[in-house]
Amino acid sequence: MKTGIVLALLAAGALCAGQPALAHHPFAAEYDVNEPVTLTGTLARMEWVNPHGWIFIDVKQPDGTITQWTVETSGPGQMSRRGLKKTDTVDGMSLVIKGYQSRNKPTLANGRTLVLADGRSFYVGAVGGPNDGADR
Amino acid sequence: MLPFLEWCEGLAVSQAYRESLWLFTLTQSLHLVAITTFIGAILIVDLRLLGWGPVRQSRAGMARSAQRILLWAGLAVLATGIPQFTANALSYPRSPVFVVKMCLLAAALVFTATVRRRVALADEGGLPSWVPRAVGAVSLALWMGVTIGGRLIAFYG
Amino acid sequence: MPSIIPALEWIEGLPWTTAIRESAWGYPIIETAHVASIVAFTGLVIMMDLRLVGLAFTHAPLTQIQRRLFPWQMAGLVPSTATGLLLCCVDPLRYYGNVFFRVKLVLLALAGVNALAFHLRTYRTARRWEDDPRVTSTARLAGAVSLLLWSAIIVSGRLIASNWFN
Repeated sequence: MKTGIVLALLAAGALCAGQPALAHHPFAAEYDVNEPVTLTGTLARMEWVNPHGWIFIDVKQPDGTITQWTVETSGPGQMSRRGLKKTDTVDGMSLVIKGYQSRNKPTLANGRTLVLADGRSFYVGAVGGPNDGADR
Repeated sequence: MLPFLEWCEGLAVSQAYRESLWLFTLTQSLHLVAITTFIGAILIVDLRLLGWGPVRQSRAGMARSAQRILLWAGLAVLATGIPQFTANALSYPRSPVFVVKMCLLAAALVFTATVRRRVALADEGGLPSWVPRAVGAVSLALWMGVTIGGRLIAFYG
Repeated sequence: MPSIIPALEWIEGLPWTTAIRESAWGYPIIETAHVASIVAFTGLVIMMDLRLVGLAFTHAPLTQIQRRLFPWQMAGLVPSTATGLLLCCVDPLRYYGNVFFRVKLVLLALAGVNALAFHLRTYRTARRWEDDPRVTSTARLAGAVSLLLWSAIIVSGRLIASNWFN
């Protein structure tokens, strides 16, 4: 009986033990789930680094000026497993990024989907975030 | 399964957890300390089973003391883990690494609660010497596998 | 006092640190080894501290626990320090500017001082009280301080990833 209770308790606890790595940063603390953004522009540069990559995208504003957005992505390991190659992201190419805007910085976003000029789309989100993976 | 996970994500505690910075930080901090304590209690007995660690002490005595720690730390892992689980419940089925890790975890728990427990609490003269060593090695492999797997989820989704 | 930033920039620019930073496997492996060895090391330290404060393993003489756990604690401390240093070299400017990283270093130093003070003074008298479930008060204090410090170190290490206050 006692072993049964122990097993049940530990099993339940274990169920929850997987979470920390998934909720890697508190997404909600930095990014706003209610402020989705779609950025269309040209790639200034992309940093394929750990633990998170960075896309710098030049977006043309309605008034003609260019604003550079910084978009946080997952690291090189996850990107390559999803099929995106470093050679796919060439400086100057057109691209579309969908994500969520930062709460604090107006030109910072958390990237979810990247759409290349040839139409291929990739999930670039880091693990942890709203409907994680639903927008793959 | 899916409706249950959706229900989890809809709970008030899940919402609070997703929105509140301090709640997330507090529960995750306690969660990490509880996991570390839990693994410490696993390790001290595994070392003993392997014939290392505090060898002059009665193995059963060490194991009984460690078991109390496992229960309390395990309870803390559970309590601090629930809001973290429900807040992002839907992300679980989409993560293959997570599924593998959960299987390892289930195996580790069952093994610890049954075979390992019996061997650790048994009379030291009563078993052939390879038995506790094998049990200690398997336990170590399973639990360190769980720890490593848990961390790898962040990198490989 | 000259700024250390140029030195950090130089380290960041080295080919091998750049390679790790941009790796698909290298960085995840180093970081995971860092976390796993920290969990093993700190877990055993917590066991020792629980004996000191009289919450666990009270049937065992303190010196037995200390002597037999110590080599395994070191087996955890060495890889966690090595991987930690590696991680610092891979992204030195990021950690230099991270408040939780600095807090973690300070806490580590304090934990070291606490351990050293315990070993050089209180532990010397261990023979007198090693068998007592409730050890001498300075030893209990050292254990309690250690528990608090190492818990705080775990938490601050985790918060490094949060990018707050950057």
